[in-house]
Amino acid sequence: MTEFLMYLTNGIVIGVINAISAIGVSLIVGIMKVVNFAHGELYIFAGYFSYHLSTTLGLPPLLAMPLSIFFIFLIGIGMERTLIRPTYGNEMYSLIITFVLSIVLQNAALLIFGPYPNKPPNLVSGATNIFGLYHYGNQRLLSFFISIGILLFIFYLIKKTWFGKSIRAVSQDREMSSLVGIDHFRVNMLSFGLGAALAGAAGVIVAPIFPVTPTGSSAISLTAFVVVVLGGMGSLKGCVVGGLLLGILENLGAAYISTMYRSIFGFLILILILVFRPWGLFGQRTQ
Amino acid sequence: MANAKKFWVPIVFIVLAIFPPFFLSQYWLHVMIISLFYVMMASSWNLIAGFTGQVSFAHAAFSGIGAYVSGMLAVYLGFSPWLGVLIGMGAAALLGLGLGYLCIRMGGIYLSLTTLGFSEILRIIITNEDRWTRGTMGLQVPGFFTEYSKVSYYYLFLIVAILVLAVIYRIIHSEMGLTFRAVLNDELAASSSGINTIRVRILAFTISGAIAGLAGGLYGHYLMLITPDIPSLGQMFLVLAMAVIGGMGSFVGPIVGSFVLEILSEYIRIYGEVHVLLFGLVALAVARFAPEGLMGIIGKRWRREWSY
Repeated sequence: MTEFLMYLTNGIVIGVINAISAIGVSLIVGIMKVVNFAHGELYIFAGYFSYHLSTTLGLPPLLAMPLSIFFIFLIGIGMERTLIRPTYGNEMYSLIITFVLSIVLQNAALLIFGPYPNKPPNLVSGATNIFGLYHYGNQRLLSFFISIGILLFIFYLIKKTWFGKSIRAVSQDREMSSLVGIDHFRVNMLSFGLGAALAGAAGVIVAPIFPVTPTGSSAISLTAFVVVVLGGMGSLKGCVVGGLLLGILENLGAAYISTMYRSIFGFLILILILVFRPWGLFGQRTQ
Repeated sequence: MANAKKFWVPIVFIVLAIFPPFFLSQYWLHVMIISLFYVMMASSWNLIAGFTGQVSFAHAAFSGIGAYVSGMLAVYLGFSPWLGVLIGMGAAALLGLGLGYLCIRMGGIYLSLTTLGFSEILRIIITNEDRWTRGTMGLQVPGFFTEYSKVSYYYLFLIVAILVLAVIYRIIHSEMGLTFRAVLNDELAASSSGINTIRVRILAFTISGAIAGLAGGLYGHYLMLITPDIPSLGQMFLVLAMAVIGGMGSFVGPIVGSFVLEILSEYIRIYGEVHVLLFGLVALAVARFAPEGLMGIIGKRWRREWSY
């Protein structure tokens, strides 16, 4: 029973991190109809930045983490301006460009950071007794709470602020939103940056738990895509629900069924959903 | 006059292609054979991506199916590679039909994600079921010829590649090809003219998958070692880069792209495994600034010189 609870908790912790990562993809897909294949690479770049800032440069982790996220935000904006912007409306080219970009970044990461896994230092250490039932690592608990904080912040941003409203407006109807005065180019740019930053946030939060490697980026991108499709494209709460579901399912599946096929669960879910219910759990039926 | 030129140019190339084994070293013959493999892959990928606008990431997976089916039939059931390759092609075609039927109606993003998922699932299964596939250790398979000879393989690949290109050429310039381009240009208009866009796309997907399977089978029996690298996204990327840099949407583009990139990668290999990064950067630049690729750039110059 204790084991089950541990797997479940692992699933929940990973689940909220998945959710953050997925929202990063979902924002970009919702607004620009672009699937950011380079998502996983941004995630691990953030992890590497966090590692190097705190270890090589000796910055305190509390500073290294937000700084890394900020760098990724800037990189995201740069990507949007130079590569993505010209492909508006041309779905095929945006897919090709982000796919190639992901390969480029992956190889660049191998070249710059080397193939070995790196792990930024933990913020906290030790373990806590959960409800007197089992012990769980403090770093993971902290990651969980930070993630919840970020999720709440994102929800606030999207639902309550003017920026969030403009994002929602552009994703609903680009032409109309520009007619009412929204600078949709700027919204695009900022939301791509935000999407990238969320990928970075997820990477920075996970890095102290699971070290980052350049080859792990494809799995991360694909997990994010599965969550977005599962939850429904364009639905924030879908990302949260989907992220939790996937996290729990993958952990329980890996524990009780097979560890080798762990990643297959995600893909199978992806394909099943795409075939039978492409709009996911909470998405809109546009077909 | 233009028609005659169209007829003679390929003939000239085919005749020229007969000669390389007489003066090329074994190493460069190998490079030519690999290039021909990529020509088949890139041209067939171009058939769906360049001509119907759907970016499928399952292409390398189809070649992997061709390779593994053919290889395993040869190793476990003693099938001749000649037969195995045809069966492998059939298996890939069937899967292409199935996958196409499944995700063609979804279009765009969904199709790309599904094919991506399919490709990775296949690779993971192949890697894990090493009892049958020998996983990352590689499955050793017999070759086509009892006496190994690169020259024989070169001519085999050449003949098949020419046949494949001929098929693709006929498709592009047939009514089916017109339909493909109608779908690419404006799907709504195409379907209101009565074109069954879904059927067209599924057909394109199946044919391209079959060609990939054929190419994969040939490749496997040439290398005589089949590994999960064949159905990997890394291979997928190379094929994509060759089509993009060579020029999507043109018949010659992928051919040019395959030879150029494969030969270049041999030169760059001296400096390390940076050719993937380099090709990626070039592909980005091409997709961003010159979407019609090398053939687009050359074509513009050609037209300026030849127009009077």
